[in-house]
Amino acid sequence: MLAAALGLARAGLRAAARPAVLLQARFEGSSTTETRPTVRPKDEVAQNQLYAFGEYVAEILPKYIQQVQVTCFNELEIFIHPDGVVPILTFLRDHTNAQFKSLADLTAIDVPTRQYRFEIVYNLLSLRFNSRIRVKTYTDELTPVDSVVSVHQAANWYEREVWDMYGVFFANHPDLRRILTDYGFEGHPFRKDFPLSGYVEVRYDDEVKRVVAEPVELAQEFRKFDLNSPWETFPAYRTAPETLKLEAGDKKGDTK
Amino acid sequence: MAGALKKTTGLMGLAVAEKPHEHLRILYTKILTALQDIPKDAAYRKYTEQIVNERFNMVKTEPNVQKLEDKMKSGQIEEVIIQAESELSLARKMAQWKPWEPLVEEPPTDQWRWPI
Amino acid sequence: MAAAGAGKAATATATAVVAGAAVKPLFSQDLGEAKRRVRELYRAWYREVPNAVQLYQLDITVKRGRDKVREMFMKNAHVTDPRVIDILVIKGKMELQETTRVWKQRTHIMRFFHETETPRPKDFLSKFYVGHDP
Repeated sequence: MLAAALGLARAGLRAAARPAVLLQARFEGSSTTETRPTVRPKDEVAQNQLYAFGEYVAEILPKYIQQVQVTCFNELEIFIHPDGVVPILTFLRDHTNAQFKSLADLTAIDVPTRQYRFEIVYNLLSLRFNSRIRVKTYTDELTPVDSVVSVHQAANWYEREVWDMYGVFFANHPDLRRILTDYGFEGHPFRKDFPLSGYVEVRYDDEVKRVVAEPVELAQEFRKFDLNSPWETFPAYRTAPETLKLEAGDKKGDTK
Repeated sequence: MAGALKKTTGLMGLAVAEKPHEHLRILYTKILTALQDIPKDAAYRKYTEQIVNERFNMVKTEPNVQKLEDKMKSGQIEEVIIQAESELSLARKMAQWKPWEPLVEEPPTDQWRWPI
Repeated sequence: MAAAGAGKAATATATAVVAGAAVKPLFSQDLGEAKRRVRELYRAWYREVPNAVQLYQLDITVKRGRDKVREMFMKNAHVTDPRVIDILVIKGKMELQETTRVWKQRTHIMRFFHETETPRPKDFLSKFYVGHDP
């Protein structure tokens, strides 16, 4: 169901035949009947509408759009080159058939194995057409991304947050500084290489009469938890849970 | 309700337009002029011209504001004016950005593969 | 003052990227320009120290404060990638802004001096005396 359509390949498929009015139809929601209670009903109408709009955007902006896809939860995702952040968000905001006037969220994902480890995610909402779109781009620690504060004012604090938590630098941001961490805090907590316990711990010292920060010292070894979720989040990608390996100490206990 | 009787749009910060037809006519002409800078085969120009011409014809043929709003199916006439204004600024920016060119750079392999 | 840990992590990936293709510069086009930015930042910090000592009523001499600034800069002296230097300078500027505008408090300034920290035990016997350290 998670079908991907390459923007370039699909461009011009239905270009001539489709009237511009088709996209303007305000989506009100409709669904086919799905009898199985645990399976999300497939919504063909909404999905096709998203496909059509994704192709439309990819056809207009082939310079920046790398890939367009509709997820199984009927969310349209557009993957773009980092140079095109401002043009694409401006297009989506100002074009008559898009009108994504509201930036619902801006965040990042850290995947350390990739060449560009950070994904920057923009969630947009169009009040006129009652639809949402997700724009994704990528960067690494040292590549600046253009700030979208000039397009959406709401991005100001979100970008500060991403800077603070991931260390992604936003070029041309009017006021880029920390927003969540304490002054003097070092490192970016949401990076995958940042330890869960952090680097420093804070306490009040009676001798110097102030709060001091010292390297964290755990009195107990860090506990490992089984994080397998009992719910099926991605049924299509479910892998069988790994068989638990017994530690050397446990085996001794068995032989007794 | 005719345009003269309309007291408010009911939307914050959005005043009732005095002469919506004239306003829209100016804006649509400007958009079509701005689109001249974009190559003819660019998808953006094609679609925007289609939208603008369609609405422009409605503006020309329908003198009644209320009926015009119903025909356009895009909210009140004041909102249509706002849409035209933003489309105009976009068309001018698009001429600089040139988004109809081929893709600047392919993503690294596995950049968009999920789950890992 | 720059985050030393982040700087180190960044250097490793930066070299990998630089080897691949031309990269987008942050601010500085070459190393000379980056060094100029560092010198500017160092001067700003140097001038700021007496001011900060007075503002925050710190129990240190100006000399000691300037020595600390120098130490923090020299901690990253090994960095040669202009982009990494730029990021470190950006962080240093933010830190300077926090200091000059008194967004920080005395505790945040004094954290640079590590006054209360006891050195961690190194050899087996002193670890044993401390007791809980694995």
